[in-house]
Amino acid sequence: MAATVAQTQAIPPGLHPLQAAALRAANGGQQQPQHQSQQPPNRNFDDEPFDVTSRKLTVGDFVRVRTLGTGTFARVCLVRPSHGTEADRSKVYALKILRKTEVIKLKQIDHVRHERQILYDVKDHPFITQYVASFSDHDFLYILLDYVPGGELFTYLRKYRRFNEDMARFYAAEIVLILEHLHEQQGGIAYRDMKPENLLLDGEGHIKLVDFGFAKRLGNNESGHPVETYTLCGTPEYLAPEVIHNKGHTTAVDWWALGILIYEFLTGYPPFWHQNPIEIYKQIVEKPIIFPQDPHISDAAKDIIRQFCTIDRSRRLGNIQGGAAQVKRHPFFAGVDWDAIYHKRHRGPIIPPIRYPGDAQCFDIYPEEDASKDEYTEDLVEKYDEYFKDF
Amino acid sequence: MSGSGFTSPFGANSNPFGSARLDTGGNGMQRVAEEDENDTITSPTTPNFGQGTGNVFRGPFGSDSSETQQHSNPRGPPVAEGYPAQYNFGRRTSVSAESLKPVGDSLDNWTPPVHSKTPDQLARLKKAISGNFLFSHLDDEQAAQVLGALQEKPIPTKGIKVIIQGDAGDFFYVVEKGSFDIHVNSSGTLQPGPDGMGPKVSTIEAGGSFGELALMYNAPRAATVISAEPQCTLWALDRVTFRRILMESTFARRRMYEGFLEEVPLLSSLTPYERSKIADALESQKFPAGYTIIREGDPGHSFYLLESGEAAAYRSGSDDDNTPVKHYKKGDFFGELALLNDAPRAASVISKSEVKVARLGKSAFQRLLGPVEGIMRRTKYVGVKTGVEDMDPLQAH
Ligand SMILES: Nc1ncnc2c1ncn2[C@@H]1O[C@H](COP(=O)(O)OP(=O)(O)OP(=O)(O)O)[C@@H](O)[C@H]1O
Repeated sequence: MAATVAQTQAIPPGLHPLQAAALRAANGGQQQPQHQSQQPPNRNFDDEPFDVTSRKLTVGDFVRVRTLGTGTFARVCLVRPSHGTEADRSKVYALKILRKTEVIKLKQIDHVRHERQILYDVKDHPFITQYVASFSDHDFLYILLDYVPGGELFTYLRKYRRFNEDMARFYAAEIVLILEHLHEQQGGIAYRDMKPENLLLDGEGHIKLVDFGFAKRLGNNESGHPVETYTLCGTPEYLAPEVIHNKGHTTAVDWWALGILIYEFLTGYPPFWHQNPIEIYKQIVEKPIIFPQDPHISDAAKDIIRQFCTIDRSRRLGNIQGGAAQVKRHPFFAGVDWDAIYHKRHRGPIIPPIRYPGDAQCFDIYPEEDASKDEYTEDLVEKYDEYFKDF
Repeated sequence: MSGSGFTSPFGANSNPFGSARLDTGGNGMQRVAEEDENDTITSPTTPNFGQGTGNVFRGPFGSDSSETQQHSNPRGPPVAEGYPAQYNFGRRTSVSAESLKPVGDSLDNWTPPVHSKTPDQLARLKKAISGNFLFSHLDDEQAAQVLGALQEKPIPTKGIKVIIQGDAGDFFYVVEKGSFDIHVNSSGTLQPGPDGMGPKVSTIEAGGSFGELALMYNAPRAATVISAEPQCTLWALDRVTFRRILMESTFARRRMYEGFLEEVPLLSSLTPYERSKIADALESQKFPAGYTIIREGDPGHSFYLLESGEAAAYRSGSDDDNTPVKHYKKGDFFGELALLNDAPRAASVISKSEVKVARLGKSAFQRLLGPVEGIMRRTKYVGVKTGVEDMDPLQAH
């Protein structure tokens, strides 16, 4: 059928028609929020319904609207289905695109495989980005996610400079529920990259955790496997001391990072900082957390930060007896209705200004141009492609 | 690491807004400044927030550009009072080392490389790394392996660039002989031409070291380091070897602890996960021969596993005070009733050789898993009072 032909023509990287279509779609979206009424041109759309979960996808099933974010080896794009009924085509998704050669070069094969698997496993949690599908082609791996339109909490934090304690408590509470789920209900998933850059806001101002690139399923009560892992990963300011010292780390690293995060919420910057990363690490393993005079930070907030950022893991809140339940009982969370948090009974303290479903104005603009390409040679295919077969 | 090398399958340059952001991962200060300059026009990096529906709070990006213009710097770089000087407010990218799996997990075998050194060289090396936070927490075995793995690198002439700013970094270096100059080019990478290294910022002499970040993960080198005289010598250590040494020994020790813990009847109902948590909290201690590790009559606060060496328990009032009531060898444990109560120790335990013990405090145990009574109640110990008594000769009768 016609659509299929159009699709296969659209797949090769860099092909102009697709790019043009994306451009036009995006420009249209800019000037004319009622994008449902416009169709990406140069195509014969049949009205055959297109359900993204019904079959194996290809990149030709989508047109790019724009880039939402870039990471170390991935680019995340806002995309729209390129065919289907009008309703299908008005949907938007976030497509995370990973170049196989980069994944191999940066030795992230394991991480990428875990990312896909764990996203799949934790689907349906209220505060985690929803996994839709994954697929791959010769050069790329793709993870299709629900689009989270509010942008990064990071952006809001930098603009506000800091959050007051009520705001910080709201976000921290949602994160506690995420960690409780990952660590306790999912049987020992360590997230390992908590930071404001990885917390997005949905339309109602609730958190959606993204980037499971470093998430790892460790052992738990039932499995007889070791529960610690050794690969150093994370973000410098947020690394736990045991990661820096390569002592073998566990889900306890996420509680440390939550302490750093609450500190950064309340002051606008993390407790350990230096231009030279080595100096950050030195501080993390050697220095106590110091609070500024201004802004004033309540004793309960200081206490929970210190309890999370405790080097001794047999004293670290969250890791000690009671786990997340103990965290919830800390005075910093006094008065929090955990059930209401879980069910999103209240809107968040920041409501992102979203004008229409595919609006991406809350995201920074990233250059769309692409640099060098390393070829994914037949040798590499032979050696590595089996690792990507789950996609 | 940065995302600049990424090529998307959608092809090049289709930025719908036709405007590239100059700085995606780096300097946020610069970014904010750019936005300010752009305030009069509608900058794509400062979308017009605040016009959305139902804002609870005022839009974080200010309400509209005319207002922003009036207050010339309402959201300027937050370098004002109370912020750390030069704090970088930009987005932070993640870092990651290559994933390492302990060989204990697989069937491979790995032994760290050993490059022989004279006692003098060893002593100098030890001194050179002793103050470094990446080495100061190593135990004796780990330190010995790390020292052994450092490899000699002769640098015969002046002017050899040992590391190049902007390049991938895999090695850490200690200067054994000679001296090296450090240059930093403000562009972040070595540039062609005579001044391409940028100005010299310092010199490292014998006993100094550089490149330690490479022991954590592969990050671009922050400086160029070049030999400043002929006949220099360096010691080099690569990241994978370093991290492996730490990982293998930690891994082996943890498995050993877990194995020991499995043998302790009082803790037999712990799940592997709980045992692992406890293994986390065990502290290794070394004692010379003849050392009284626990003393009869003292209140008991800790429980011990014997990692190596031998020890014996003695009790006053036994037939002969000098005849041990029990011997301990590797893998044995003593004092576990301290986890249950504060009753005085019923015997003394004295090391017979140099010993290494792993100590677990009652309080650490309780913080991690709650009271031992709760753990015991899970299984067979329910109501079996004598079972408890039998377990520890130190608490007998
Ligand atoms: N579902 C989504 N909806 C909207 N934006 C998203 C979504 N997923 C990711 N993004 C944006 O893309 C950015 C990069 O995504 P992600 O962190 O997954 O990539 P990465 O390459 O793994 O990053 P890093 O180098 O930080 O690990 C995010 O910070 C976010 O701004």
